[in-house]
Amino acid sequence: MSGQGQLATDATVKPEAGGHTQLAAGAPELGNVSIRDLNHRFGSSVHAAADVFLNFAPGEFVSIVGPSGCGKTTVLNLLAGLLPVQEGTISIFGSPPKAGRHDVAYMLARDCLFPWLTAAQNAEFGARIRHADRHKRQARARELLEAVGLKGFEDNYPKALSHGMRQRVALARTFCLDSPLLLMDEPFGALDAQTKMQLEDVLLSLWMKERRTVVFITHDLAEAITLSDRVVVMSARPGKIIADIRIELPRPRSVTDLQKDPEYHKIYSKVWEKLEVGLRS
Amino acid sequence: MTDAADNRNYALYETIVINVARLVFLAVFFAAWEYIARNRIVNPLFIGTPSEIGKFLWNGLFVEFSLIKDLYWTLGSTFLAFLIGSVAGIITGLMFITWPWFERFSDPLFSALNALPRIALAPLFLLWFGLGIWSKVALGASLTYFIVLSSAVAGIRSTNADHLTLSRTLGASQGQIFTRVTLPSAVPTIFSGLRLGLIYALLGVIGGEIIAAQHGLGQLLSYLAGSFQISGVFAVLFILAILGTGLIALMSRVEKWLLRWQ
Repeated sequence: MSGQGQLATDATVKPEAGGHTQLAAGAPELGNVSIRDLNHRFGSSVHAAADVFLNFAPGEFVSIVGPSGCGKTTVLNLLAGLLPVQEGTISIFGSPPKAGRHDVAYMLARDCLFPWLTAAQNAEFGARIRHADRHKRQARARELLEAVGLKGFEDNYPKALSHGMRQRVALARTFCLDSPLLLMDEPFGALDAQTKMQLEDVLLSLWMKERRTVVFITHDLAEAITLSDRVVVMSARPGKIIADIRIELPRPRSVTDLQKDPEYHKIYSKVWEKLEVGLRS
Repeated sequence: MTDAADNRNYALYETIVINVARLVFLAVFFAAWEYIARNRIVNPLFIGTPSEIGKFLWNGLFVEFSLIKDLYWTLGSTFLAFLIGSVAGIITGLMFITWPWFERFSDPLFSALNALPRIALAPLFLLWFGLGIWSKVALGASLTYFIVLSSAVAGIRSTNADHLTLSRTLGASQGQIFTRVTLPSAVPTIFSGLRLGLIYALLGVIGGEIIAAQHGLGQLLSYLAGSFQISGVFAVLFILAILGTGLIALMSRVEKWLLRWQ
Protein backbone atom coordinates (compact mmCIF):
# COMPACT_ATOMS: atom_id res chain seq x y z
CA MET A 1 0.00 0.00 0.00
CA SER A 2 3.00 2.27 -0.38
CA GLY A 3 2.76 4.20 -3.56
CA GLN A 4 0.02 6.61 -4.18
CA GLY A 5 -0.05 7.63 -7.75
CA GLN A 6 3.20 6.25 -9.10
CA LEU A 7 1.19 3.74 -11.04
CA ALA A 8 -1.56 6.17 -11.89
CA THR A 9 -2.71 6.18 -15.45
CA ASP A 10 -4.01 8.79 -17.80
CA ALA A 11 -6.57 11.46 -17.14
CA THR A 12 -9.58 9.31 -17.98
CA VAL A 13 -9.39 7.82 -14.49
CA LYS A 14 -11.09 10.28 -12.18
CA PRO A 15 -9.34 10.52 -8.84
CA GLU A 16 -12.42 10.83 -6.61
CA ALA A 17 -13.55 7.26 -6.84
CA GLY A 18 -16.27 5.03 -5.50
CA GLY A 19 -18.31 7.88 -6.80
CA HIS A 20 -22.03 8.15 -6.61
CA THR A 21 -22.48 9.50 -10.07
CA GLN A 22 -26.21 9.49 -10.22
CA LEU A 23 -26.99 9.59 -13.88
CA ALA A 24 -30.15 11.26 -14.95
CA ALA A 25 -31.69 8.87 -17.44
CA GLY A 26 -30.75 10.59 -20.64
CA ALA A 27 -27.96 10.53 -23.17
CA PRO A 28 -24.89 8.53 -22.06
CA GLU A 29 -22.32 10.90 -20.67
CA LEU A 30 -18.77 11.03 -21.89
CA GLY A 31 -16.41 9.42 -19.42
CA ASN A 32 -18.95 6.85 -18.39
CA VAL A 33 -19.71 3.34 -19.40
CA SER A 34 -23.38 2.59 -19.88
CA ILE A 35 -25.66 -0.12 -21.14
CA ARG A 36 -29.20 0.73 -22.21
CA ASP A 37 -32.16 -1.52 -23.03
CA LEU A 38 -29.85 -4.33 -24.01
CA ASN A 39 -31.28 -7.57 -25.36
CA HIS A 40 -29.27 -10.43 -26.71
CA ARG A 41 -30.37 -13.73 -28.18
CA PHE A 42 -28.48 -16.77 -29.39
CA GLY A 43 -30.56 -18.32 -32.11
CA SER A 44 -34.30 -18.06 -31.67
CA SER A 45 -34.66 -19.86 -28.34
CA VAL A 46 -31.88 -18.62 -26.04
CA HIS A 47 -32.59 -15.20 -24.59
CA ALA A 48 -29.33 -14.45 -22.82
CA ALA A 49 -29.80 -10.86 -21.69
CA ALA A 50 -33.13 -9.11 -21.26
CA ASP A 51 -33.64 -5.36 -20.92
CA VAL A 52 -30.31 -4.81 -19.24
CA PHE A 53 -29.78 -1.23 -18.09
CA LEU A 54 -26.55 -0.40 -16.27
CA ASN A 55 -24.27 2.53 -15.61
CA PHE A 56 -20.70 2.29 -14.45
CA ALA A 57 -19.23 5.38 -12.84
CA PRO A 58 -15.54 6.17 -13.37
CA GLY A 59 -13.42 4.30 -10.85
CA GLU A 60 -16.27 2.10 -9.74
CA PHE A 61 -15.82 -1.60 -9.05
CA VAL A 62 -19.01 -3.41 -10.11
CA SER A 63 -19.60 -7.14 -9.93
CA ILE A 64 -22.28 -8.96 -11.85
CA VAL A 65 -23.45 -12.20 -10.21
CA GLY A 66 -26.07 -14.67 -11.29
CA PRO A 67 -26.75 -18.34 -11.81
CA SER A 68 -24.75 -20.03 -14.51
CA GLY A 69 -26.14 -19.44 -17.99
CA CYS A 70 -27.88 -16.19 -17.01
CA GLY A 71 -25.99 -14.15 -19.59
CA LYS A 72 -23.52 -12.31 -17.38
CA THR A 73 -20.57 -13.33 -19.52
CA THR A 74 -22.59 -12.34 -22.60
CA VAL A 75 -22.95 -8.83 -21.17
CA LEU A 76 -19.21 -8.68 -20.58
CA ASN A 77 -18.41 -9.95 -24.07
CA LEU A 78 -20.72 -7.31 -25.52
CA LEU A 79 -18.86 -4.65 -23.54
CA ALA A 80 -15.58 -6.08 -24.84
CA GLY A 81 -16.85 -5.93 -28.41
CA LEU A 82 -16.38 -9.68 -28.82
CA LEU A 83 -20.06 -10.01 -29.76
CA PRO A 84 -22.04 -7.61 -31.96
CA VAL A 85 -24.75 -5.63 -30.14
CA GLN A 86 -28.15 -6.84 -31.40
CA GLU A 87 -30.59 -4.61 -29.57
CA GLY A 88 -30.05 -1.62 -27.33
CA THR A 89 -27.01 0.61 -26.94
CA ILE A 90 -23.70 0.30 -25.20
CA SER A 91 -21.50 3.32 -24.76
CA ILE A 92 -17.93 3.15 -23.56
CA PHE A 93 -16.56 6.64 -22.89
CA GLY A 94 -18.90 7.95 -25.54
CA SER A 95 -18.36 5.44 -28.32
CA PRO A 96 -19.68 1.96 -29.14
CA PRO A 97 -17.73 -1.11 -28.00
CA LYS A 98 -15.09 -2.56 -30.30
CA ALA A 99 -12.67 -5.42 -29.68
CA GLY A 100 -9.13 -4.11 -29.48
CA ARG A 101 -9.78 -0.55 -28.35
CA HIS A 102 -6.96 0.56 -26.12
CA ASP A 103 -9.09 2.01 -23.33
CA VAL A 104 -10.44 -1.44 -22.50
CA ALA A 105 -8.54 -4.38 -20.98
CA TYR A 106 -10.06 -7.84 -20.85
CA MET A 107 -9.12 -10.67 -18.51
CA LEU A 108 -10.25 -14.23 -19.12
CA ALA A 109 -11.27 -16.98 -16.72
CA ARG A 110 -8.28 -19.08 -17.70
CA ASP A 111 -4.86 -17.54 -17.22
CA CYS A 112 -4.22 -17.68 -20.96
CA LEU A 113 -0.48 -17.22 -20.59
CA PHE A 114 1.72 -17.97 -23.56
CA PRO A 115 3.81 -21.02 -22.64
CA TRP A 116 6.76 -19.88 -24.76
CA LEU A 117 7.10 -16.57 -22.91
CA THR A 118 8.56 -16.06 -19.43
CA ALA A 119 6.49 -14.53 -16.64
CA ALA A 120 7.98 -11.10 -17.35
CA GLN A 121 7.40 -11.40 -21.10
CA ASN A 122 3.83 -12.52 -20.49
CA ALA A 123 3.22 -9.62 -18.14
CA GLU A 124 4.32 -7.11 -20.78
CA PHE A 125 2.64 -8.94 -23.67
CA GLY A 126 -0.45 -6.74 -23.86
CA ALA A 127 1.52 -3.53 -23.60
CA ARG A 128 3.85 -4.83 -26.28
CA ILE A 129 0.99 -5.60 -28.65
CA ARG A 130 -0.25 -2.06 -28.03
CA HIS A 131 3.19 -0.65 -28.88
CA ALA A 132 3.94 0.79 -25.46
CA ASP A 133 7.44 2.13 -25.00
CA ARG A 134 9.81 -0.80 -24.48
CA HIS A 135 11.63 0.42 -21.38
CA LYS A 136 8.52 1.71 -19.70
CA ARG A 137 6.54 -1.47 -20.26
CA GLN A 138 9.39 -3.68 -19.09
CA ALA A 139 9.87 -1.66 -15.93
CA ARG A 140 6.13 -1.64 -15.36
CA ALA A 141 5.84 -5.40 -15.87
CA ARG A 142 8.58 -6.08 -13.31
CA GLU A 143 7.03 -3.65 -10.88
CA LEU A 144 3.64 -5.34 -11.24
CA LEU A 145 5.10 -8.83 -10.90
CA GLU A 146 6.58 -7.69 -7.62
CA ALA A 147 3.22 -6.20 -6.60
CA VAL A 148 1.43 -9.51 -7.26
CA GLY A 149 4.05 -11.36 -5.21
CA LEU A 150 6.13 -12.91 -7.97
CA LYS A 151 9.46 -11.24 -7.41
CA GLY A 152 12.16 -13.72 -8.35
CA PHE A 153 9.93 -15.61 -10.77
CA GLU A 154 10.28 -13.13 -13.66
CA ASP A 155 12.27 -15.47 -15.86
CA ASN A 156 10.23 -18.61 -15.21
CA TYR A 157 8.17 -20.16 -17.95
CA PRO A 158 4.48 -20.81 -17.10
CA LYS A 159 5.07 -24.56 -16.88
CA ALA A 160 7.10 -23.90 -13.73
CA LEU A 161 4.34 -21.84 -12.09
CA SER A 162 1.32 -23.01 -10.11
CA HIS A 163 -2.26 -22.15 -11.09
CA GLY A 164 -2.41 -19.29 -8.63
CA MET A 165 0.93 -17.90 -9.74
CA ARG A 166 -0.14 -18.01 -13.37
CA GLN A 167 -3.29 -16.09 -12.59
CA ARG A 168 -1.11 -13.56 -10.76
CA VAL A 169 0.90 -13.10 -13.96
CA ALA A 170 -2.38 -12.65 -15.86
CA LEU A 171 -3.38 -9.95 -13.36
CA ALA A 172 -0.03 -8.23 -13.89
CA ARG A 173 -0.56 -8.41 -17.65
CA THR A 174 -4.00 -6.82 -17.33
CA PHE A 175 -2.80 -4.01 -15.08
CA CYS A 176 0.24 -3.42 -17.31
CA LEU A 177 -2.18 -1.99 -19.86
CA ASP A 178 -3.20 1.52 -19.03
CA SER A 179 -6.83 1.10 -19.99
CA PRO A 180 -9.30 2.93 -17.73
CA LEU A 181 -11.88 0.13 -18.09
CA LEU A 182 -11.09 -3.41 -16.95
CA LEU A 183 -13.40 -6.28 -17.89
CA MET A 184 -12.87 -9.46 -15.88
CA ASP A 185 -14.63 -12.71 -16.66
CA GLU A 186 -14.49 -14.90 -13.53
CA PRO A 187 -10.72 -14.52 -13.29
CA PHE A 188 -10.50 -16.55 -10.06
CA GLY A 189 -13.23 -19.06 -10.90
CA ALA A 190 -10.88 -22.00 -11.29
CA LEU A 191 -8.81 -21.46 -8.14
CA ASP A 192 -9.10 -23.13 -4.74
CA ALA A 193 -10.61 -21.12 -1.87
CA GLN A 194 -7.31 -20.12 -0.23
CA THR A 195 -5.58 -19.04 -3.41
CA LYS A 196 -8.70 -17.20 -4.45
CA MET A 197 -8.68 -15.08 -1.28
CA GLN A 198 -4.99 -14.26 -1.72
CA LEU A 199 -5.62 -13.16 -5.28
CA GLU A 200 -8.63 -11.08 -4.29
CA ASP A 201 -6.34 -9.23 -1.90
CA VAL A 202 -3.81 -8.72 -4.70
CA LEU A 203 -6.52 -7.44 -7.03
CA LEU A 204 -7.85 -5.05 -4.38
CA SER A 205 -4.42 -3.61 -3.68
CA LEU A 206 -3.68 -3.12 -7.38
CA TRP A 207 -7.07 -1.51 -7.93
CA MET A 208 -6.80 0.77 -4.87
CA LYS A 209 -3.66 2.36 -6.33
CA GLU A 210 -5.31 3.38 -9.56
CA ARG A 211 -9.09 3.17 -9.16
CA ARG A 212 -9.95 2.17 -12.67
CA THR A 213 -13.48 1.18 -13.62
CA VAL A 214 -13.88 -2.58 -13.20
CA VAL A 215 -16.68 -4.81 -14.43
CA PHE A 216 -16.20 -8.13 -12.68
CA ILE A 217 -18.18 -11.26 -13.56
CA THR A 218 -18.42 -13.99 -10.94
CA HIS A 219 -20.73 -16.71 -9.69
CA ASP A 220 -19.29 -16.35 -6.19
CA LEU A 221 -21.38 -13.95 -4.11
CA ALA A 222 -18.81 -13.68 -1.31
CA GLU A 223 -16.19 -12.65 -3.84
CA ALA A 224 -18.49 -10.07 -5.40
CA ILE A 225 -19.28 -8.44 -2.03
CA THR A 226 -15.68 -8.50 -0.89
CA LEU A 227 -14.39 -6.70 -3.95
CA SER A 228 -17.12 -4.40 -5.16
CA ASP A 229 -18.69 -1.01 -4.70
CA ARG A 230 -21.85 -2.39 -6.27
CA VAL A 231 -23.19 -5.87 -6.83
CA VAL A 232 -25.59 -6.42 -9.71
CA VAL A 233 -27.69 -9.58 -9.47
CA MET A 234 -29.04 -11.19 -12.63
CA SER A 235 -31.85 -13.73 -12.80
CA ALA A 236 -31.79 -17.07 -14.54
CA ARG A 237 -32.46 -16.97 -18.27
CA PRO A 238 -33.69 -14.66 -19.69
CA GLY A 239 -31.09 -12.71 -17.72
CA LYS A 240 -32.73 -9.68 -16.18
CA ILE A 241 -31.26 -7.40 -13.55
CA ILE A 242 -33.16 -8.13 -10.34
CA ALA A 243 -31.05 -6.18 -7.87
CA ASP A 244 -28.37 -3.52 -7.90
CA ILE A 245 -26.94 -3.22 -4.42
CA ARG A 246 -24.39 -0.74 -3.16
CA ILE A 247 -21.85 -2.33 -0.81
CA GLU A 248 -21.08 0.19 1.93
CA LEU A 249 -18.07 -1.56 3.39
CA PRO A 250 -15.20 0.82 4.08
CA ARG A 251 -12.01 0.68 2.03
CA PRO A 252 -9.26 -0.40 2.09
CA ARG A 253 -10.70 -3.84 2.72
CA SER A 254 -8.86 -6.91 3.83
CA VAL A 255 -10.30 -10.13 2.49
CA THR A 256 -9.42 -12.15 5.58
CA ASP A 257 -10.70 -9.53 8.05
CA LEU A 258 -14.02 -9.33 6.21
CA GLN A 259 -14.67 -13.01 6.93
CA LYS A 260 -15.08 -12.08 10.62
CA ASP A 261 -16.95 -8.79 10.02
CA PRO A 262 -20.67 -9.01 11.04
CA GLU A 263 -21.54 -6.14 8.70
CA TYR A 264 -20.17 -8.20 5.80
CA HIS A 265 -22.32 -11.18 6.75
CA LYS A 266 -25.41 -8.98 7.04
CA ILE A 267 -24.84 -7.70 3.51
CA TYR A 268 -24.15 -11.21 2.34
CA SER A 269 -27.51 -12.57 3.55
CA LYS A 270 -29.32 -9.56 2.11
CA VAL A 271 -27.81 -10.06 -1.34
CA TRP A 272 -28.23 -13.82 -1.07
CA GLU A 273 -32.01 -13.38 -0.64
CA LYS A 274 -32.11 -11.50 -3.93
CA LEU A 275 -30.00 -14.12 -5.64
CA GLU A 276 -32.28 -16.84 -4.32
CA VAL A 277 -35.21 -15.11 -5.97
CA GLY A 278 -33.19 -15.06 -9.16
CA LEU A 279 -32.44 -18.75 -8.92
CA ARG A 280 -36.08 -19.60 -8.40
CA SER A 281 -37.42 -17.58 -11.32
CA MET B 1 19.78 -35.75 0.89
CA THR B 2 21.56 -39.07 1.27
CA ASP B 3 18.59 -40.71 -0.38
CA ALA B 4 18.93 -38.43 -3.38
CA ALA B 5 22.67 -39.03 -3.51
CA ASP B 6 22.09 -42.77 -3.28
CA ASN B 7 19.61 -42.60 -6.10
CA ARG B 8 22.03 -40.65 -8.24
CA ASN B 9 24.83 -43.13 -7.54
CA TYR B 10 22.55 -45.97 -8.38
CA ALA B 11 21.52 -44.34 -11.67
CA LEU B 12 25.16 -43.77 -12.60
CA TYR B 13 26.01 -47.36 -11.74
CA GLU B 14 23.14 -48.56 -13.89
CA THR B 15 24.28 -46.51 -16.92
CA ILE B 16 27.80 -47.90 -16.63
CA VAL B 17 26.55 -51.47 -16.43
CA ILE B 18 24.27 -51.00 -19.43
CA ASN B 19 27.04 -49.48 -21.54
CA VAL B 20 29.50 -52.21 -20.65
CA ALA B 21 26.85 -54.82 -21.46
CA ARG B 22 26.30 -53.21 -24.86
CA LEU B 23 30.02 -53.26 -25.67
CA VAL B 24 30.29 -56.89 -24.61
CA PHE B 25 27.29 -57.77 -26.74
CA LEU B 26 28.74 -56.03 -29.83
CA ALA B 27 32.16 -57.64 -29.30
CA VAL B 28 30.62 -61.11 -29.03
CA PHE B 29 28.38 -60.40 -32.04
CA PHE B 30 31.26 -59.31 -34.29
CA ALA B 31 33.55 -62.09 -33.06
CA ALA B 32 30.89 -64.68 -33.85
CA TRP B 33 30.32 -63.08 -37.26
CA GLU B 34 34.05 -63.15 -37.99
CA TYR B 35 34.29 -66.77 -36.84
CA ILE B 36 31.32 -67.88 -38.95
CA ALA B 37 32.61 -66.13 -42.06
CA ARG B 38 36.27 -67.25 -41.65
CA ASN B 39 35.29 -70.86 -41.22
CA ARG B 40 32.85 -70.66 -44.08
CA ILE B 41 29.92 -71.81 -41.98
CA VAL B 42 28.13 -69.21 -44.07
CA ASN B 43 29.77 -68.09 -47.30
CA PRO B 44 31.41 -64.66 -46.69
CA LEU B 45 30.27 -63.73 -50.18
CA PHE B 46 26.86 -63.15 -48.59
CA ILE B 47 27.72 -61.71 -45.21
CA GLY B 48 31.21 -60.25 -45.57
CA THR B 49 33.63 -60.26 -42.66
CA PRO B 50 33.86 -57.64 -39.89
CA SER B 51 37.62 -57.24 -40.39
CA GLU B 52 37.11 -56.48 -44.10
CA ILE B 53 34.33 -54.04 -43.23
CA GLY B 54 36.69 -52.32 -40.78
CA LYS B 55 39.43 -52.14 -43.41
CA PHE B 56 37.02 -50.72 -45.98
CA LEU B 57 35.82 -48.07 -43.54
CA TRP B 58 39.38 -47.14 -42.55
CA ASN B 59 40.47 -46.81 -46.19
CA GLY B 60 37.38 -44.95 -47.29
CA LEU B 61 37.35 -42.54 -44.39
CA PHE B 62 41.00 -41.88 -43.58
CA VAL B 63 43.23 -43.07 -46.48
CA GLU B 64 41.56 -42.65 -49.87
CA PHE B 65 38.63 -40.47 -48.65
CA SER B 66 36.32 -42.10 -51.22
CA LEU B 67 33.59 -42.58 -48.61
CA ILE B 68 33.96 -38.99 -47.46
CA LYS B 69 33.44 -37.73 -51.01
CA ASP B 70 30.29 -39.79 -51.48
CA LEU B 71 29.07 -38.82 -48.05
CA TYR B 72 29.52 -35.20 -49.03
CA TRP B 73 27.35 -35.62 -52.16
CA THR B 74 24.62 -37.45 -50.27
CA LEU B 75 24.58 -34.99 -47.38
CA GLY B 76 24.50 -32.02 -49.74
CA SER B 77 21.57 -33.44 -51.73
CA THR B 78 19.73 -34.34 -48.52
CA PHE B 79 20.18 -30.85 -47.13
CA LEU B 80 18.91 -29.22 -50.32
CA ALA B 81 15.97 -31.62 -50.56
CA PHE B 82 15.05 -30.95 -46.93
CA LEU B 83 15.37 -27.19 -47.30
CA ILE B 84 13.32 -26.95 -50.50
CA GLY B 85 10.72 -29.48 -49.38
CA SER B 86 10.14 -27.99 -45.94
CA VAL B 87 10.09 -24.34 -47.01
CA ALA B 88 7.64 -25.16 -49.80
CA GLY B 89 5.58 -27.26 -47.36
CA ILE B 90 5.32 -24.47 -44.79
CA ILE B 91 4.47 -21.86 -47.43
CA THR B 92 1.73 -24.09 -48.87
CA GLY B 93 0.43 -24.68 -45.32
CA LEU B 94 0.21 -20.92 -44.78
CA MET B 95 -1.64 -20.53 -48.10
CA PHE B 96 -4.10 -23.22 -47.01
CA ILE B 97 -4.80 -21.36 -43.77
CA THR B 98 -5.02 -17.95 -45.41
CA TRP B 99 -7.25 -19.03 -48.29
CA PRO B 100 -9.47 -21.93 -47.20
CA TRP B 101 -11.01 -22.09 -50.68
CA PHE B 102 -7.54 -22.92 -52.03
CA GLU B 103 -7.29 -25.87 -49.67
CA ARG B 104 -10.75 -27.10 -50.62
CA PHE B 105 -9.90 -26.71 -54.31
CA SER B 106 -6.58 -28.53 -54.19
CA ASP B 107 -7.28 -31.14 -51.54
CA PRO B 108 -8.03 -34.07 -53.92
CA LEU B 109 -5.03 -33.19 -56.07
CA PHE B 110 -2.70 -33.12 -53.08
CA SER B 111 -4.16 -36.34 -51.69
CA ALA B 112 -3.59 -38.12 -54.97
CA LEU B 113 -0.03 -36.83 -55.26
CA ASN B 114 0.68 -37.76 -51.67
CA ALA B 115 -0.75 -41.25 -52.13
CA LEU B 116 1.44 -41.84 -55.19
CA PRO B 117 4.52 -43.93 -54.23
CA ARG B 118 7.07 -41.19 -54.72
CA ILE B 119 9.87 -43.51 -55.79
CA ALA B 120 7.81 -44.15 -58.93
CA LEU B 121 8.58 -40.58 -59.93
CA ALA B 122 12.32 -41.32 -60.02
CA PRO B 123 12.51 -42.15 -63.75
CA LEU B 124 10.66 -38.95 -64.56
CA PHE B 125 12.90 -36.84 -62.31
CA LEU B 126 15.97 -38.45 -63.90
CA LEU B 127 14.67 -37.46 -67.30
CA TRP B 128 13.88 -33.91 -66.21
CA PHE B 129 16.80 -33.12 -63.93
CA GLY B 130 19.54 -35.43 -65.24
CA LEU B 131 21.91 -37.82 -63.50
CA GLY B 132 23.32 -35.16 -61.17
CA ILE B 133 22.13 -34.21 -57.72
CA TRP B 134 18.99 -32.35 -58.77
CA SER B 135 17.00 -35.47 -59.61
CA LYS B 136 17.80 -36.75 -56.08
CA VAL B 137 16.96 -33.40 -54.54
CA ALA B 138 13.61 -33.46 -56.34
CA LEU B 139 12.82 -36.96 -55.10
CA GLY B 140 13.79 -36.17 -51.50
CA ALA B 141 11.97 -32.82 -51.54
CA SER B 142 8.79 -34.42 -52.89
CA LEU B 143 8.76 -36.69 -49.82
CA THR B 144 9.60 -33.96 -47.30
CA TYR B 145 7.08 -31.53 -48.78
CA PHE B 146 3.90 -33.44 -47.96
CA ILE B 147 5.04 -34.41 -44.47
CA VAL B 148 5.91 -30.83 -43.53
CA LEU B 149 2.78 -29.50 -45.24
CA SER B 150 0.41 -31.60 -43.15
CA SER B 151 2.25 -30.86 -39.91
CA ALA B 152 2.27 -27.12 -40.68
CA VAL B 153 -1.49 -27.10 -41.27
CA ALA B 154 -2.12 -29.13 -38.11
CA GLY B 155 0.20 -26.88 -36.11
CA ILE B 156 -1.38 -23.63 -37.22
CA ARG B 157 -4.88 -25.04 -36.59
CA SER B 158 -3.90 -26.01 -33.05
CA THR B 159 -3.67 -22.38 -31.89
CA ASN B 160 -5.47 -21.94 -28.56
CA ALA B 161 -8.79 -20.10 -29.01
CA ASP B 162 -8.27 -18.20 -25.74
CA HIS B 163 -4.98 -16.84 -27.03
CA LEU B 164 -6.75 -15.56 -30.13
CA THR B 165 -9.54 -13.96 -28.08
CA LEU B 166 -7.02 -12.24 -25.86
CA SER B 167 -5.12 -10.96 -28.89
CA ARG B 168 -8.35 -9.62 -30.38
CA THR B 169 -9.20 -7.67 -27.22
CA LEU B 170 -5.67 -6.29 -27.16
CA GLY B 171 -6.15 -4.99 -30.69
CA ALA B 172 -3.39 -7.11 -32.24
CA SER B 173 -2.93 -6.77 -36.00
CA GLN B 174 -3.06 -9.82 -38.30
CA GLY B 175 0.72 -9.69 -38.54
CA GLN B 176 1.17 -9.53 -34.78
CA ILE B 177 -1.22 -12.42 -34.26
CA PHE B 178 0.68 -14.47 -36.80
CA THR B 179 4.22 -13.84 -35.53
CA ARG B 180 3.47 -13.68 -31.81
CA VAL B 181 0.68 -16.24 -31.38
CA THR B 182 0.00 -18.54 -34.33
CA LEU B 183 3.57 -19.28 -35.37
CA PRO B 184 4.98 -20.01 -31.88
CA SER B 185 2.04 -22.28 -31.09
CA ALA B 186 2.60 -24.16 -34.36
CA VAL B 187 6.33 -24.71 -33.80
CA PRO B 188 6.11 -27.98 -31.78
CA THR B 189 3.88 -29.66 -34.37
CA ILE B 190 5.86 -28.29 -37.32
CA PHE B 191 9.02 -29.55 -35.70
CA SER B 192 7.87 -33.13 -35.43
CA GLY B 193 7.07 -32.87 -39.15
CA LEU B 194 10.51 -31.43 -39.89
CA ARG B 195 12.25 -34.24 -38.04
CA LEU B 196 10.38 -36.86 -40.02
CA GLY B 197 10.88 -34.81 -43.19
CA LEU B 198 14.64 -34.85 -42.74
CA ILE B 199 14.72 -38.65 -42.52
CA TYR B 200 12.51 -38.89 -45.59
CA ALA B 201 14.73 -36.48 -47.49
CA LEU B 202 17.63 -38.85 -46.81
CA LEU B 203 15.49 -41.80 -47.91
CA GLY B 204 14.54 -40.08 -51.18
CA VAL B 205 18.12 -39.10 -51.95
CA ILE B 206 19.54 -42.57 -51.25
CA GLY B 207 16.74 -44.17 -53.27
CA GLY B 208 17.43 -41.85 -56.19
CA GLU B 209 21.15 -42.55 -56.02
CA ILE B 210 20.60 -46.31 -56.02
CA ILE B 211 18.50 -46.04 -59.16
CA ALA B 212 20.95 -43.94 -61.17
CA ALA B 213 23.67 -41.51 -60.14
CA GLN B 214 27.29 -40.52 -60.60
CA HIS B 215 28.08 -39.91 -56.93
CA GLY B 216 26.74 -40.53 -53.48
CA LEU B 217 26.47 -43.31 -50.94
CA GLY B 218 23.45 -44.84 -52.69
CA GLN B 219 25.34 -45.09 -55.95
CA LEU B 220 28.33 -46.59 -54.11
CA LEU B 221 26.03 -49.08 -52.40
CA SER B 222 24.53 -50.29 -55.65
CA TYR B 223 28.00 -50.49 -57.29
CA LEU B 224 29.46 -52.51 -54.39
CA ALA B 225 26.51 -54.87 -54.28
CA GLY B 226 26.64 -55.32 -58.05
CA SER B 227 30.30 -56.32 -57.86
CA PHE B 228 29.82 -58.62 -54.84
CA GLN B 229 31.91 -56.53 -52.44
CA ILE B 230 29.67 -57.37 -49.53
CA SER B 231 31.99 -56.04 -46.84
CA GLY B 232 31.88 -52.70 -48.63
CA VAL B 233 28.07 -52.83 -48.69
CA PHE B 234 27.99 -53.37 -44.93
CA ALA B 235 30.45 -50.54 -44.44
CA VAL B 236 28.15 -48.15 -46.35
CA LEU B 237 25.12 -49.37 -44.41
CA PHE B 238 27.07 -48.69 -41.24
CA ILE B 239 27.79 -45.12 -42.40
CA LEU B 240 24.13 -44.60 -43.31
CA ALA B 241 22.98 -45.74 -39.87
CA ILE B 242 25.42 -43.33 -38.22
CA LEU B 243 24.36 -40.56 -40.59
CA GLY B 244 20.65 -41.06 -39.84
CA THR B 245 21.28 -41.14 -36.11
CA GLY B 246 23.43 -38.02 -36.35
CA LEU B 247 20.74 -36.12 -38.26
CA ILE B 248 18.06 -37.06 -35.74
CA ALA B 249 20.31 -36.10 -32.84
CA LEU B 250 21.00 -32.73 -34.48
CA MET B 251 17.27 -32.08 -34.95
CA SER B 252 16.57 -33.05 -31.35
CA ARG B 253 19.21 -30.58 -30.17
CA VAL B 254 17.68 -27.73 -32.18
CA GLU B 255 14.19 -28.72 -31.07
CA LYS B 256 15.18 -28.88 -27.42
CA TRP B 257 16.60 -25.39 -27.64
CA LEU B 258 13.66 -23.93 -29.56
CA LEU B 259 11.10 -25.61 -27.31
CA ARG B 260 12.89 -25.03 -24.02
CA TRP B 261 9.62 -23.61 -22.68
CA GLN B 262 7.83 -26.95 -22.99
